[in-house]
Amino acid sequence: MEVSGSQDITQELAREIFRVVETGVKEEGERLIELQIGPTHPGSGHMRILAWVDGDVIVRCDPDIGFVHRTIEKLSENRAYIKTIPLVERPSLLDTTPMTIGYVNALEKLMGIDVPPRAKYLRTILAEITRIASHLYGIGILAIFLGHSTGFMWAFGDREVMIELATMLTGARITYAYVIPGGVRRDMPQNFPDAVEKGLKYIEKRLRDWEKIFLNNPVVERRLRDVGILKPNIARILGVTGPNVRASGIDYDVRMVEPYEAYDEIDFMIPVAEEGDGYARGLIRFKEIEQSINIIRQAIRKIPSGEIISPQISRLFNPLMKKIYAEQRRVKLPSLMATLKPPKGEAMARVEAGRGEALFHIVSDGSTNPYRFRFITPSFRNVILFKYLIPGHRIADLPAIYGSLDYFPPEADR
Amino acid sequence: MVVSLGPLEIPGRLVYDFLHIFILPGFGAVLVLVILIIWAERKIAGLVQLRYGPLHVSRRFGGVLQLVADLIRYTFQEFIIPQGADKIAYLTGPVLALIFAIIPVAFIPVSPLIEPPIYVSSNILVVLAILSTAPIFIIITGYASDNKFAFIGSLREAFLMISYEIPFIISILSMALLFRSLDMSDVVNSQAKYLSGIILNPLAALVAYIAIIRITGRFPFEISEAESELVMGPYTEYSGLMYGVAMGIAYIKLYVYSMLYSMVFLGGWLPILSNNLVESYFIGSFIILIKASILMLIAVFLRSVYPRYRVDQAIRLGWSQVLILSIISLIWSLVLSYFLR
Repeated sequence: MEVSGSQDITQELAREIFRVVETGVKEEGERLIELQIGPTHPGSGHMRILAWVDGDVIVRCDPDIGFVHRTIEKLSENRAYIKTIPLVERPSLLDTTPMTIGYVNALEKLMGIDVPPRAKYLRTILAEITRIASHLYGIGILAIFLGHSTGFMWAFGDREVMIELATMLTGARITYAYVIPGGVRRDMPQNFPDAVEKGLKYIEKRLRDWEKIFLNNPVVERRLRDVGILKPNIARILGVTGPNVRASGIDYDVRMVEPYEAYDEIDFMIPVAEEGDGYARGLIRFKEIEQSINIIRQAIRKIPSGEIISPQISRLFNPLMKKIYAEQRRVKLPSLMATLKPPKGEAMARVEAGRGEALFHIVSDGSTNPYRFRFITPSFRNVILFKYLIPGHRIADLPAIYGSLDYFPPEADR
Repeated sequence: MVVSLGPLEIPGRLVYDFLHIFILPGFGAVLVLVILIIWAERKIAGLVQLRYGPLHVSRRFGGVLQLVADLIRYTFQEFIIPQGADKIAYLTGPVLALIFAIIPVAFIPVSPLIEPPIYVSSNILVVLAILSTAPIFIIITGYASDNKFAFIGSLREAFLMISYEIPFIISILSMALLFRSLDMSDVVNSQAKYLSGIILNPLAALVAYIAIIRITGRFPFEISEAESELVMGPYTEYSGLMYGVAMGIAYIKLYVYSMLYSMVFLGGWLPILSNNLVESYFIGSFIILIKASILMLIAVFLRSVYPRYRVDQAIRLGWSQVLILSIISLIWSLVLSYFLR
């Protein structure tokens, strides 16, 4: 049953995918021009998109990835567990905290460390702050790919507010490495809740401006509506994740399906759209920003007092570390962490990063380095859409679809 | 409108022609206005987008000399001719486009008392004819570069030019029909007699303005140079001075089209009339310049509001709504001209 079912699905998928190609040019003869878009093209990002065009219509498209491959999985096999935390946040520079949460969760599962509730809430707050920043970045790229320079500048300007909030909490602008096994690096400052409320109010005000200039802009609508429609069954087969799949009517979010950190104690909803076109994908990101604002507000209100680091870690503190922790609420990692040896075994964790589900799988052989670390990023799972969404559209739709997918090459290449 | 200048006819004519071609509204005004308009474009975009825009070159004047600095840089930058390029076509394409973009200025009168340097009684038609040669040079440019993006960009430009030039010509000619003259001086004088063209036939004014925005490649019709799709469109392979020239063409075209528009729809040198020859020349050309620069400012402001259309959407818009509106404006002119007579 399984085999025949999957064959049916495959055939259906093939029919769907090559629907356009069949009606277009059958032979790849002299009619087709091969366009190599990238890697040094203003609209390509760190990748090459091979597109075969017939006149103005793309009949075949092939994403060529790997230009910014940084061997993160291999590097992590040669360094201590604790040093991989800053490594996993490098691929997606705008969306760092969910990545560290995923890795640290896997590590905590491996070692059996419990996290105090206050640390969980702090992690959730920071993850949602970076989600807003990441979505704003994606919207900005979508805007500039459509030629909307105001959207681009506004998105990057508004993202700065979120980065300032994160700086207040962590002390760094982009790469926080805030999440450590057993807790977080430091507690939130006294004036943080007020600053967050101010920042969120500003973002809410700006979202209304965004609606006026971007979402309700007639040219934006004409460029994105009915462009790059991703049908739910195809999304399911291709394993697409994140806002892209939620824009196709599939209600899937790791924060709901398998709650981690404080998400099970917070009341929020997952925005879903039915259309599956570029406009829906853009719209979903705006709706998710609204939900993230809601989550941050609730988390700030509900955050319990208490420790920010697990007693399993804090009992290793030396007197100076204890003093710093008591006075400044900052965690200095005990030296034992540098030669951390988790027990033999495997652990897996997944998180909902800004662009979709990220999966972390650690295989430990009992030594100081992981035997194998598997790291699947959402962009890596979404890149396949280039091959299936773009054929049949015009050259001008390529950047529109690219932008609406919020694909980030360094994240996919790792 | 021939004015006898008595014994001073020939030297006065020469001085005036020199002024018209090299100072106002010719090269000098073009250069200053293009610099100011590009500065204004970047400054307005900066204002909308919560940033400064040009600032550091001539800080006291808000960075107005930024473009001069850019031009100096273009001039001294290495100018690369790609290996596969057709050299003659590669070099002549943008230069010819520039020349044919600026020639119409010599046909446009700026004062009721003085003829333009080249006087043709049907100068509206001549200006339209010269301006409509542009796609040829764009295609030459795109072909000569030996670059797929340049080629696609030049074809897009040619397609779009043709699909918006016809509505533009129809809407301008509907004004000529309304005023029963193909001479700009007559058209302006008729506007002095009745009302300005934009009030008499707002539909034609709307169509002509949309067409100008498209023909000069402003947003939302900046389609042939779409950066995220075609790098820089027809001018992808150009560098150095030739890049500066290629960039200037669009703004010079915008200037010439705006002048034509302000003559036909906004009453040219009206409302101030002077009987003094020198005064009428300077006041007239200044008023035209101000009207043209307001039109240009609106055109460049659209960059901060709109993204760009897709090429097929823009062509469809040109051949359907815009063309139909221009034909309606022609009929409206026919009806109105019956009453105006």
